[in-house]
Amino acid sequence: MWNTFIEKFIIEEGYKLTLTGLSNTALIAVFGLLIGFLLGTVIAIVKLVPVKNIFVTVLKKICDGYVAVFRGTPIVVQLLLLHFAVFPALGLLLEDVVEASIIFGLNSAAYISEIMRGGINSVDKGQMEAGRSLGFGYTRTMIKIVIPQAFKNILPTLGNEFISLIKETSVLSLIAVTDLTKSFKAIAESTYEYFIPYIMLAICYFVIVYLISLLVKFMERRFNTDARK
Amino acid sequence: MQENKITADSTVITIKDLYKSFGRLEVLKGVNLEIKKGEKVVVIGPSGSGKSTMLRCLNLLEEPTCGEVWFHENLLTPVDPYLHSDLIERSNTFQKMLCERLAQGEEEHEALRDQIAFEIKEKSLLKKHEGKAFKKAIKELYSTYTLNINKARAKIGMVFQHFNLFNNLTVLQNLTVAPIQLKLKTKEQANEKAFALLKRIGLEDKANAYPSTLSGGQKQRIAIIRALAMEPEVMLFDEPTSALDPEMVGEVLELMKDLADEGMTMVVVTHEMGFAKEVASRIIFMNDGLIQEENDPENFFENPKNERLKEFLSKVLK
Ligand SMILES: Nc1ncnc2c1ncn2[C@@H]1O[C@H](COP(=O)(O)OP(=O)(O)OP(=O)(O)O)[C@@H](O)[C@H]1O
Ligand SMILES: [Mg+2]
Repeated sequence: MWNTFIEKFIIEEGYKLTLTGLSNTALIAVFGLLIGFLLGTVIAIVKLVPVKNIFVTVLKKICDGYVAVFRGTPIVVQLLLLHFAVFPALGLLLEDVVEASIIFGLNSAAYISEIMRGGINSVDKGQMEAGRSLGFGYTRTMIKIVIPQAFKNILPTLGNEFISLIKETSVLSLIAVTDLTKSFKAIAESTYEYFIPYIMLAICYFVIVYLISLLVKFMERRFNTDARK
Repeated sequence: MQENKITADSTVITIKDLYKSFGRLEVLKGVNLEIKKGEKVVVIGPSGSGKSTMLRCLNLLEEPTCGEVWFHENLLTPVDPYLHSDLIERSNTFQKMLCERLAQGEEEHEALRDQIAFEIKEKSLLKKHEGKAFKKAIKELYSTYTLNINKARAKIGMVFQHFNLFNNLTVLQNLTVAPIQLKLKTKEQANEKAFALLKRIGLEDKANAYPSTLSGGQKQRIAIIRALAMEPEVMLFDEPTSALDPEMVGEVLELMKDLADEGMTMVVVTHEMGFAKEVASRIIFMNDGLIQEENDPENFFENPKNERLKEFLSKVLK
């Protein structure tokens, strides 16, 4: 068992594929999170902005719909729909990794917008008022004052979102992107040896997730000492 | 000499016939107030009488339901047509009423027009749409006098009951973020000003501390100099000492007295009667959403006329 795996993995250079898969998974998760964070923050702000003109009201409704749809359907369905139907119909021919990052970004934006909304609401209203009273506009106060504090509050939840994002990228094999899962699957299928490759795959994910949770804890501690210094 | 007199008398903030409701709750019911340059106006009144709401309307942290707020010659709120007779005369309602009255045989002259305008004001007869001429006149008035609210707020300092220092920034950053971001000062200028202010209150050593490490009195004094760093023309205080431990009230009041002595225009909502007596040039008693009495400190405390004020004073001056 081991011999076939080692032969395939090292001598036949299967590890190269694994490295590609690993880096793709990492890239997609990181960029997905980044897109999700930026878009999610914008959505959260739109939903919270206390303005009542028609343009903003329509925008709010669009955001509501967006969040409802992306939270109300499985990521696999979104992936299939966007990759095979929507993007081709729009004439968007993107590189696999870019496309996957966008799809995961769109998906996590829906979740992060809700997390961010809670985070912003948890910041004392006095902070916004103080900013406004000094002559800052709403958006500037949000970006300079409120969101940094909200970010600190939601860091643990955001860490969890990142972790589930990494795990969810494993469904990418459905649209033929070489991610971590796909690379081990290829090895397993070419050797008809499933046990070791899939155990290795599980270990890989576990280690990544573990490292990230350490990182999140570290960041949390740093943020807290920062504020207490 | 004469010029001097004009500036000394010039009005910084004016509120006209201000109403404010929160849902069904009517909190302000027609407040009129003029704040002149250099004045120290102290606002007192029972809890829930609308003091904070009125103060917060001065810089539009609270949006009035009706009425206007002016900062110098600039309008901060939308136009309230009921405050402008010439606007009312351009409305369809006015024209219709005028026609009716003329048809009844009355003669058209100034007095009739005034009478109709008065009636429209009294009964709030203006409708949502009052024709093109009316709309255009409002637009014109608005665009002539309006001022971006953020520009006005940069000149109106505000100090809150709960300090509201920016928790994610150091003391120094709290003092400099607005002048730098709003491009009023370069970073060097802002830092220099901030250190001068910190020195003034003896807290230079806290420049790099975060607000969470400060005492209440320190926080409030920093909040005051944060507003001062913007070089405001007027300062609004909403119960600046109410959230402080008793031993810290003194240091904050001391700083406010210094400001008053330097000629800062101030509007202060407070329960500190000693401060009111000593510092105020005018005291206002708010009750039930209205200014019910207004006087210089001596007469205010010695000869109160309003019954509710007498009752209030007998309670707080014990
Ligand atoms: N944002 C708000 N939404 C709803 N009601 C409000 C709001 N702000 C104030 N009120 C209500 O308006 C009334 C007047 O409030 P305000 O804070 O102006 O009183 P105040 O005179 O400052 O009282 P205090 O001395 O307790 O500070 C109160 O009944 C209060 O509950
Ligand atoms: Mg109050």
